[in-house]
Amino acid sequence: MGVFESSEKFEEVLVGFFRNLGDTPSIANKLLASKLIIRFTYSDPDLVVLVDCSGDKIDVRPGDKDTKAEVEMSMSADIAHKFWFGKVNLMAALTRRQMVAKGPIPKILNLLPAIKPSYAMYPKYLEEQGYSKYNIH
Amino acid sequence: MIGKDVWNQFLFTSDEGNPMLPEFFEFHNPTRVVYGVGLASDFKAELDALGVRRYFIVSDKTINELGLVKRVVDGLRTGGFEIMGEFLEVPQDAEIKSVNACAEQAKASGAEGLIAIGGGSVIDAAKATNILVSEGGDLIQDYSGAQTLARPLKPLVAIPTTAGTGSEATIVAMIADEENRCKMAFTDRFLLPSLAVLDPEMTLSMPPKLTASTAMDALTHAVEAYVDLQRSPVSDALAVGAIELIFQNIIQATEQADDLEARGALLVASNMAGIAFSHSMVGCVHGMAHAVGGLHRVPHGVANAILLAYGMEYNFEQAKDKFVKLALFMGEKVSGLSVDNAARKAMEAVRKLTGTLNTMGALPLRLREVGIPEDALPAIAEAAVVDGTSFYNPREVVAEEILVHLRKAY
Repeated sequence: MGVFESSEKFEEVLVGFFRNLGDTPSIANKLLASKLIIRFTYSDPDLVVLVDCSGDKIDVRPGDKDTKAEVEMSMSADIAHKFWFGKVNLMAALTRRQMVAKGPIPKILNLLPAIKPSYAMYPKYLEEQGYSKYNIH
Repeated sequence: MIGKDVWNQFLFTSDEGNPMLPEFFEFHNPTRVVYGVGLASDFKAELDALGVRRYFIVSDKTINELGLVKRVVDGLRTGGFEIMGEFLEVPQDAEIKSVNACAEQAKASGAEGLIAIGGGSVIDAAKATNILVSEGGDLIQDYSGAQTLARPLKPLVAIPTTAGTGSEATIVAMIADEENRCKMAFTDRFLLPSLAVLDPEMTLSMPPKLTASTAMDALTHAVEAYVDLQRSPVSDALAVGAIELIFQNIIQATEQADDLEARGALLVASNMAGIAFSHSMVGCVHGMAHAVGGLHRVPHGVANAILLAYGMEYNFEQAKDKFVKLALFMGEKVSGLSVDNAARKAMEAVRKLTGTLNTMGALPLRLREVGIPEDALPAIAEAAVVDGTSFYNPREVVAEEILVHLRKAY
């Protein structure tokens, strides 16, 4: 059993966080500059989330399996959760196949500095939104 | 001050920010590597161990015209192996169109394995072909990226005819996407060839300029592998071994084309550097070289040769302790010098080397000598920053700072 008890709960937590990032100009502007459309496919529990940075605003669309994405990332929900705490070394995770990335890897790597501040935002977000039981201390 | 015990001082201690043991590293090298003069004509014993009898050959026009394909194929037939077909049209930069055509023919041939005979482009094309032959599907849509393969592919044998790319030892294949005018990277441990046959006779036909530039490519792989953020003690050991071999043999192999000993040393060094950077990746020198190559068609080895010392200069503060060690493997004396001055010896050694090769007519020294207009430098700097290699460089790659070094290289 992973950290999240159901797909619904995981979606609620993660999509809320992604939307939170989309409303944070210092991060959102850099993501929008990339113009990337990324699809995240999670397992245990299962969830698909599309993050569309190609427009004027970051559009987070849970369940979107149809839009053509430039980058497809697959991982378990637990790895994703740890990642947003800054506790996953992306290159190590790719090497160990904890994450699979399809598409132009350099573009993903170049987004890492932009999302670095989000690692501090995630535990704060969990606390503030009543998800403190998911916090890693 | 560097003391007489410099080897111990830098071999076993760590410097702040670059600990001897990284948080995580993996070493995975299942490729069987065999070396020997004349081996490309007879490696039946190694092929028998793979358990496959029917092969498809991947190569290019020049290698075929030089008789290198025939040499391998004759040996294979004598050994009782079947050649089911050949694709001898891999272009200078392997691209999707030729990979698709090659895969179609290889699949139709009924071959059970692939043999690549050529430089980096041919070997990369064979790696990508192997994906399609083994798994089917669309090359870019389904497999570009990192670790997209779930199981081993068909046996692939790589026989390099240059001593530079080390592709026979790497998990990477770079394939040009003609439609989108970019290069796509495929990074997966299942791309590693099953067998690499290193035969220095297969590199004898390289002219001096190609010998020098490909060896400088291998040197750049090794130097960047040694200082990159993803380095490990294992990649370090391979990198310094490669550097020593290259410094000891590059001039001789360039000057004396038929010196099999020097040719062999460079071939082995290229393989070692390939294994090293396949694990630790490369940095800003490659970032600049990719930009110079992509925007102005400068051959990769030439671009690396011109830019290596400048990239080292860029990383000086972050990597100087490592440069001290490299200076030793480059044959420099550092005893009695300050760390800064000892580290500079590594850059001086690279400059001396490229200077000598330039005097021999084998290498250009400046970006202006390879047809790059001065006003193109800012765009090159911008492209270097967004190159995937930036992520591994020990110093953050910033366009304005890179531009300073590009101007020096101009």
